[in-house]
Amino acid sequence: MKRRFNYTDRKRIKRERISLSIIRKNETITSFTLNRLDLNGLNLPEDAEVYIETYYRTELKRFGCGTIGNPQIPLTGDLRKLAYPQNLKFRILVVNTADRRILANANRFSPEAPAGKKSILPVEFKDLGNQVWCVDYKGEEDAPILCINKSIPEHIAKTDSRFFIHVYPDVIREILTHMVFVEGVDSVSDPGTDWHAGWLKFCRYLGVNHPDSLNPQDDAFDKDEATKWINNVVEEFCNQYTERFQEYIRKLEEGE
Amino acid sequence: MIPLRIMQPDGKNEFQNYINRIRSDPSIQKPDLNRHPFSHEFSPQVMIDESPRFLSKMEMAEYLGRIFIQANLGRENVIGENGLWTWIAYLWFDQLTTNNSGNRQFREVARYICSSDYTDYYRHLVAGPYYIYSLHGKNNSKVFLSSPIYEHNDFIEQIASRQFIISHPNLIEVFSILYFNKTSGKPKRGAQSRQRAGNIRRFVMVIQQLELTYDIYSMSPEQIINILPQEFSEWKR
Repeated sequence: MKRRFNYTDRKRIKRERISLSIIRKNETITSFTLNRLDLNGLNLPEDAEVYIETYYRTELKRFGCGTIGNPQIPLTGDLRKLAYPQNLKFRILVVNTADRRILANANRFSPEAPAGKKSILPVEFKDLGNQVWCVDYKGEEDAPILCINKSIPEHIAKTDSRFFIHVYPDVIREILTHMVFVEGVDSVSDPGTDWHAGWLKFCRYLGVNHPDSLNPQDDAFDKDEATKWINNVVEEFCNQYTERFQEYIRKLEEGE
Repeated sequence: MIPLRIMQPDGKNEFQNYINRIRSDPSIQKPDLNRHPFSHEFSPQVMIDESPRFLSKMEMAEYLGRIFIQANLGRENVIGENGLWTWIAYLWFDQLTTNNSGNRQFREVARYICSSDYTDYYRHLVAGPYYIYSLHGKNNSKVFLSSPIYEHNDFIEQIASRQFIISHPNLIEVFSILYFNKTSGKPKRGAQSRQRAGNIRRFVMVIQQLELTYDIYSMSPEQIINILPQEFSEWKR
């Protein structure tokens, strides 16, 4: 688990204080709008400057949002010059004018998904050479992003039963293994990392209860139990999609 | 001049096989990958020199910048096209693997085949220099791009892989002020030495600490230099 020191008493701007959406034209991301930024109660000086940055991979762009006393919000930012407009992350900074010290910030957050739903597994099509898929832990708070080879037609990745059966169970296994054995879940009842919470909720939705600890640093952690839990989740996920499996078998028998 | 192409997975495999084989047998012929299914033509059409002579990475990056601009292409149209960069490295492979003494040197595959992992992207001998040049222009790129095109230097290795640093024009200007000798047109001697105080690795470490506290992006190069610790004093001269 990551721990950071905060000697300068920077305030953390929680995600619920921010409303930000992405604007698309013909399926292409063209801009974003910062609809709301609630900084009330954080005791920030009136003349402190507010900025929003968006970034992903090699790209970074910054926009001024005025000051605490005179905010320029809502604010729309042009994203057309970014080489990687998909899966952008955002950062908000409140900066002391005199010494450029950061007074408050919100790091690595994503825009709201349409209709208020947030996917636990964003998908990105990209050049993976001869690899079919991989998982990139470069989302918000190092959340997983499923990367699919861009040579694979999008409709195959979304609907083909063979692709589904071969890829998604292994993706789930990979992510849960990473979450437990690489990162560790600090609390199964109230995880400090949002994407851990989202995936645990997904596992509960599948009807699989997690062990008491999913943090290898805990005394209560049992490696075999955690492994068994991951296997059970993958099994239940496959059970939820029996029709896909039957369709897959049918296609195999028909030699498709 | 030939039309610019994008390497496809089959072409990438063939190119990789060629790179692996030529290490042990320098006499083998480069395969013809300028056809289907190995590569396809880039659209819009961009004409590119088949065998240019570049004295430095800067000359190469400037040349690429020019031909892209002539085709109305911005950096956002080409940066993410890994197959394009792989194909250019294939096209210029001889120059990318031949040093000034005429000896051939074959480096790791990521120098020639552009990685889809952006943390390795900058290691590509063509994509990396263009990426830096397109972000920072000629003046502030000199410290990274003054070396020959077949060399991957520590300035690129230490800085280009750090998104926070490479994306910030003012930080790159500070880096150039500290470590580039305008008179000689080359990086300052000793900047890469781990033994020297205030070397480039220390710069990375110190900036990574400062950016947690300061809004480096909005600070002028002078303001950033002023908050650097004493160990960087000798580089300010």
